[in-house]
Amino acid sequence: MIRLQDVTKIYDGGTVAVSDVALDIPKGEFVFLVGPSGSGKSTLIRLLLREEETTRGTIWVAGKDITKLPSWKVPYLRRTIGTVFQDFKLLPQKTVAENVAFALEVIGRPRTVVHTQVSQVLELVGLDGKAERFPHQLSGGEQQRVSVARAFVNRPPILLCDEPTGNLDPGTSVGIMRLLDRINRTGTTVVMATHDHAIVDAMRRRVVALDDGRVTRDQHTGRYEEGVAQ
Amino acid sequence: MTRPIYLFREALVNMWRNPMVVAGAVLAVFVSLTLALGAVVLGEIVRVNTVQWQDGDHVIVFLKGSADGITLESHIGLENEIADWEVVESTRYVDQTGAYEEFQEIFANSPALIREVDPASLPASIRIQLSDISRWRDVQLRLIDKPAVRSVTAQGTILEGISGLTTGLNLGAFLLAVIQAAAAVVLIANTVRMAIYARRDEVGIMKLVGASNWFIRIPFLVEGVLEGLLGAGLAVATVALIRPWMADAGSAVDLIQLDVADGFFWRRAAILVLFGGLAGLAGSTLGLRRFLKV
Repeated sequence: MIRLQDVTKIYDGGTVAVSDVALDIPKGEFVFLVGPSGSGKSTLIRLLLREEETTRGTIWVAGKDITKLPSWKVPYLRRTIGTVFQDFKLLPQKTVAENVAFALEVIGRPRTVVHTQVSQVLELVGLDGKAERFPHQLSGGEQQRVSVARAFVNRPPILLCDEPTGNLDPGTSVGIMRLLDRINRTGTTVVMATHDHAIVDAMRRRVVALDDGRVTRDQHTGRYEEGVAQ
Repeated sequence: MTRPIYLFREALVNMWRNPMVVAGAVLAVFVSLTLALGAVVLGEIVRVNTVQWQDGDHVIVFLKGSADGITLESHIGLENEIADWEVVESTRYVDQTGAYEEFQEIFANSPALIREVDPASLPASIRIQLSDISRWRDVQLRLIDKPAVRSVTAQGTILEGISGLTTGLNLGAFLLAVIQAAAAVVLIANTVRMAIYARRDEVGIMKLVGASNWFIRIPFLVEGVLEGLLGAGLAVATVALIRPWMADAGSAVDLIQLDVADGFFWRRAAILVLFGGLAGLAGSTLGLRRFLKV
């Protein structure tokens, strides 16, 4: 589903964010990207979204080389990738249902389809009773559920999550991880950048550790710290 | 149909959310285009008034009479010859009786002078209107050596002055209109940039969820067009309201006409409104250029 070959990203000014990264993520896999701040996790996610362009190397997403994708096709790539961020990125003046519907409206889905899919996904994330609330009327965990709902409403084959539990307390984080796990079980590939030791250790999924832009470890049922893999 | 309505609604929501920015843009366009339309109307007023002054006899050819051995046939022959010249618009023959009547009209307030003048002493003349007044010297030179011609007078320097003034004022009005139109485009571009800045989070989310560039751009383009049309509409309304007042003021002065024809005004007004819309489109396109890279 996702393949990176010798990917390097050097920002203007010479900062090497990602260096010679090679990764192969099959369809339906759940992968944690771990590592300290500045290790290149977020840059990797931005490269997969084509928010940044690679300096060297090739990235394939769903069989397509996205490094050669013309700019006008980038929106079509993004329709195949759901994104969840630490700061939720919700629109404060739109209700829960409108925030989720927004993702379908901007890609031109008919109103009836929007209505049906929004209802379904809000039920999936457990917010079907709060469709008319505004983001400021929700807890952090609920806001992140809205964000997950918006990312998944279009049923993308890939979900990219950048520190989705970074602003949440441990109890709420567990709820979000259950939700992401449930989405993963529908066949969606999930790539999640995180600092959260407890979550990585509890989930026991593939762990790719980054340090200084390089992959230092790639374990199939790994933990956050090295040397304690089972 | 859903998509165009959605995009139009988004444009209206943009405008509703930033009323001060929108009001600023509309007012700026309004002021610019009012001045631009004012300049166009002013140019027309100058043209109309100078055309009035330019009407009349540009060159007067005073003719020799029977005392000099010149017959009426020679007069008519010369008039026919002049009338065939390319630069001549029309000619009019004024015989001695006509000249005396004209003299009586001009000096109606001086009966003593009229009594003193012998009608036979006033020469017949050919009055010439030129199609191109700048060529009055050529006409004068061609006529001066004709046997039937006593003298030639032309209002040359006055005509040149009026012609120069008209050209200068028209050029000034045109430049003012161009500058104001360019200002309108820049102001709309600035407003759209501010609107995008105000909605940068939303635009960022739209990009993340895969909205095409055109889907993001269209509401801003519609917003620019609406602002341009509103500003231009207000400008037309303002100048249309001022027109009757100006016409009244002009009617108080005999020599000057401060109004333009309805047809002229409304044709220019329609062009201005169209320009307002296009300026809005151009301004918002400029405003969008840097902000919406993928």
